[in-house]
Parts: sequence; structure tokens; C-alpha cells
Amino acid sequence: MSSLTMAAPILQTTALSVRGLTKRYGGRTVLSGVDFDVRYGELVAFLGANGSGKSTTLKCVMGLAEPDDGGITLDGAALGPLRGGQLQAARRQAAMIFQKIHLVPRRSALDNVCAGALNRIPTSRSLIPALFPREIREEAMACLDRVGLADRALDKVSQLSGGQQQRVAVARALCQRATIVLADEPVSALDPHAAERVMALLHDLAHSENLAVAAVLHQPDLARRHADRAIGLLGGRMVFDTPTRDLTGAQLDELYQPDRMDLT
Amino acid sequence: MSTPLDTPRATPRRMPVPRDPRRRWRTGSLAAAVVVVVVLHVLAFEGTEFRPARLIEGWEGMARFLAEAFPPDLSWEVLGPSLEATVVTLWIGLLGTTLSVPFAILLAVLGARTTSPHPLVYQAARSVLSFFRAVPDIVFALIFVTAVGLGPFAGVLALICHNTGVMGKLWAESMEEIDQGPQEALRTAGANRTQQVAHATLPMVVPQFVGLLLYRFDVNVRSSLVLGLVGAGGIGLLINQSIKSFQFDEMLTHIIVVLVLIVVVDQVSALVRRRLAA
Repeated sequence: MSSLTMAAPILQTTALSVRGLTKRYGGRTVLSGVDFDVRYGELVAFLGANGSGKSTTLKCVMGLAEPDDGGITLDGAALGPLRGGQLQAARRQAAMIFQKIHLVPRRSALDNVCAGALNRIPTSRSLIPALFPREIREEAMACLDRVGLADRALDKVSQLSGGQQQRVAVARALCQRATIVLADEPVSALDPHAAERVMALLHDLAHSENLAVAAVLHQPDLARRHADRAIGLLGGRMVFDTPTRDLTGAQLDELYQPDRMDLT
Repeated sequence: MSTPLDTPRATPRRMPVPRDPRRRWRTGSLAAAVVVVVVLHVLAFEGTEFRPARLIEGWEGMARFLAEAFPPDLSWEVLGPSLEATVVTLWIGLLGTTLSVPFAILLAVLGARTTSPHPLVYQAARSVLSFFRAVPDIVFALIFVTAVGLGPFAGVLALICHNTGVMGKLWAESMEEIDQGPQEALRTAGANRTQQVAHATLPMVVPQFVGLLLYRFDVNVRSSLVLGLVGAGGIGLLINQSIKSFQFDEMLTHIIVVLVLIVVVDQVSALVRRRLAA
């Protein structure tokens, strides 16, 4: 496995840095003081039982949930003091991949990938896909090629399998020119073979394109096989942050203890 | 540990069903609802002077009316203008539907909770839609007749107004009901609100939009008939004239032509909707 050949990692710069992240819903604390870094060129897996705060962590980074406390730094820019357009520009470094994929099924794979570039296209040239500039369409084609789906570019997304759809979503993130990819249970709805392929793609993007990838996973062995590092969350607290080759059965047992499940 | 049985148990096992504490409350509220509905109907019977006996007593009047209507006057002097006016009715329904589309889309996007830029805009758009919906198309027709005179143009304007209100509301609701995921995905990718609507919300609701559009076309063709009664052109005008001049056989001809039109429009729109669903 390539993760084992990384014995002497080259100097990696921090892409995403989270410090003291705290989030409460109502009176319930779902995240308390979470600290972690994700560096360029690595795939970090977030593990934990349902309700442990994995997805909430990613949502806070993407601005889909408002943290109550803590600092987030994306590609060197601390988000805390930023407002409006500057905040949006900083967040554009990161792209999100969803469990439910969230493509438009009636549109072609290519049109969906082009939509990742909408923030670079003036509104007047982006009202319908036919108006997209040619260089955007060609860039989107190259992104589809990168995920191995150039031959399906003109097919409607609804005609693709679940695994292919998730790879189109990855291509959309690439077309956004994101350097940080956050994936919220990207393979939970996929069959084992498709899950394997999507995870291999995310691993490859981290290692050969030097992207920073953070993925919430529900299957520890997928994390073992594809991630460089695993972060374990339990009841909103981090319980470990270790290279996946050092991940022990005892650490995993702690995460998924049945008597802890009633915390949710 | 029980030992496995060679054959299935002779008598099935039973267990007492626990008492449901809410059952009495549910029975009571159902009874109360029945009483309320019955009382409302009694009041409605009174309010509308609903007397079936009077219908039976007056059957002769109806029989005389129908006897004069049969057989319909199918001479070309009647049928020709009837067909022409029916085509006008169809055009009123068509233009009233299509020309309201841009207004309905705009108000639907502003008046759907998921796409509206601001709560105040949402409230304003909803109010405009409610107004256009609350005023019946026949009232709009009467208003426009005073401006543009008798004729089909007033009918088209009236349908545009009323249909904007109805279709805008139906579209806004279908946009609120669809999966918000794609829109959220584009928001995280940095797309602005117009782009989110153009590339996630609208393409997601195309089938619902077209289905509702055809349904409204169907309804509007029928409405444009009634608009003719107040002078807004089309076959309704001819029906009104033949009743006023006691030419009931002509009236029946017009009604038969209209019936054919309605059946054809209904079938075509049902066919298109079936194709879309498949």
C-alpha cells in the first residue's frame, strides 16, 4: 500500500487547521474542543459512532453550521475575522462531497461538473449551461477524465451508477479548483466495489495532486486501507489522532462501544 | 433454552394487548369532529336554500327548455361561427397560460422559502401571488373590458393575471418540496443565488413545472369559456347570446363543440404528462 511507503513524508504544509472547535445544538454539546490539522498531500479519515460529531465538524468548516467557539484556518487564512466576500473567497479553497451526492440527475455529467466553476463565471454567462465559456467546458472535461469518466461526459447523471455519480461529484470539486476536499460519508450509500474505487480516487488525489482530503467514514477498514491518518471522535471529543498503520483494535472498540451509543 | 419442536406448535401463542391510554381521547375527538362536520352541513343546506322538492316540482320548465334545445342546430350558419369562436377560446387559454410563465417563475423563485433572497421579499411575493389568486379571473376580465373593450384580448389579460397567481404558488410549493441537496452543494462551491436557482433548483423541478403548466392550460381553456360570458370573446360570448335570444338549439350546438374541444385538450395534456412521467 502506498500509505506504507510514506515512511519519510516530505515536508507537508497545513491545509486545514481546526482549534478548540465547539458546537452546541440547543443545550446539547455535540463538539467540545476539537483540535486537528489536515496537511496537503494526505487523506485523513474521521471515525466515530453516529452522533459523535464527525459530520458536524466538516459542516462547521464549510459554513453549513455555525461553530459556537474555536478557530478554523483554511489554506493559511483564519476564517474567524473574515466576513462576506472575503469569507466566501477563503471557503472556495474547500469543496464538499456529500453522502447523497447532490448532483442534478436530469443534467449531463459535464454540465454538473461545470457547475463547480460557477463562482468563476459571471452570472450573465451562467444562466443556462449552453452559455458556459468554452475554457470552462474543456476544464470540466479534463476533470471528468481525471476521475475516469470522460466517456460518460454527455450522459445524464441519472443514467450513471451510484459510484460513477460520486466520482462526477469529485470531478465537480476538482473543477471548483479546490485544494481541500471534505467528504461527508462519501461511500456510505455505495456497494463495496464502488466504495473502494471512490476511496482509491480520493487517496490518489491526495497523493498525486497534493490535495488535502478529509473524509468521514463509517467503515474502519476503508480508513485502514486508504487513509494516511485517522481521527477518532467520541461524544464530540477527539479520542485519537494516529497514522492508520498504528490504529489498534482497542482504539476502534472504544469508538463503537455499544453503551456509548445512547449519547446520541 | 427450549428444545426445538419437531412440528409447528398446535395452538399459536397469544399475548394480551396493552391498554392504549390515548384510545378514549381519540374516540372523543373523532366524535367531536363528526358533530362539527354535520352541523356545518346543516348550516350550508339552510344557507343555500337547498330544497330537492322544488327541483321535482319544477321539472316541466327544464323539460321545455331541453325540448327546445333538441335537436341542435347543426346548420353551417351556426356551426361555422361556433367553430371559429371555439378556436378563439383555445387561443385565449393558450396565451393566458404561456404569457403568465415569466411572471409566475419570477414570483415563484422570490416566493419560495428555499430560493427567496430575503424574508421580506418572500412575504411580498407571496402577497402578490395571493392577490392575483384571490381575485377571480372573471373580475379581472370585467376590469380589462373597461380598458381594452369587449373582445378576446381582455380575456387573455385576465387569464395572465389570475394564472400568474395560481401557477406561481404551485411552482413555489414544488420548489420548496424538492431535495435541497444540489442547491446546498452549489452554495458550498461558491455559486451565487441566481446560479444556484438556475443550475440546481430549476432543473430539479422541470417535470413538476411542465405537469402543472399543462394542468393549468387545461383549466384555463375552460375558464376562457366563462370569460366569454362577460364579453371577453370566444365561444362563451356565443353561448350567452343564444341564451338571451332564446335560441336554445344554437346553444346546444355551441355546447357540443365546446365539449369536443375540452375532451381533446384534456386527452392531449394527459398524454403529454404521461410521456413526461415515463
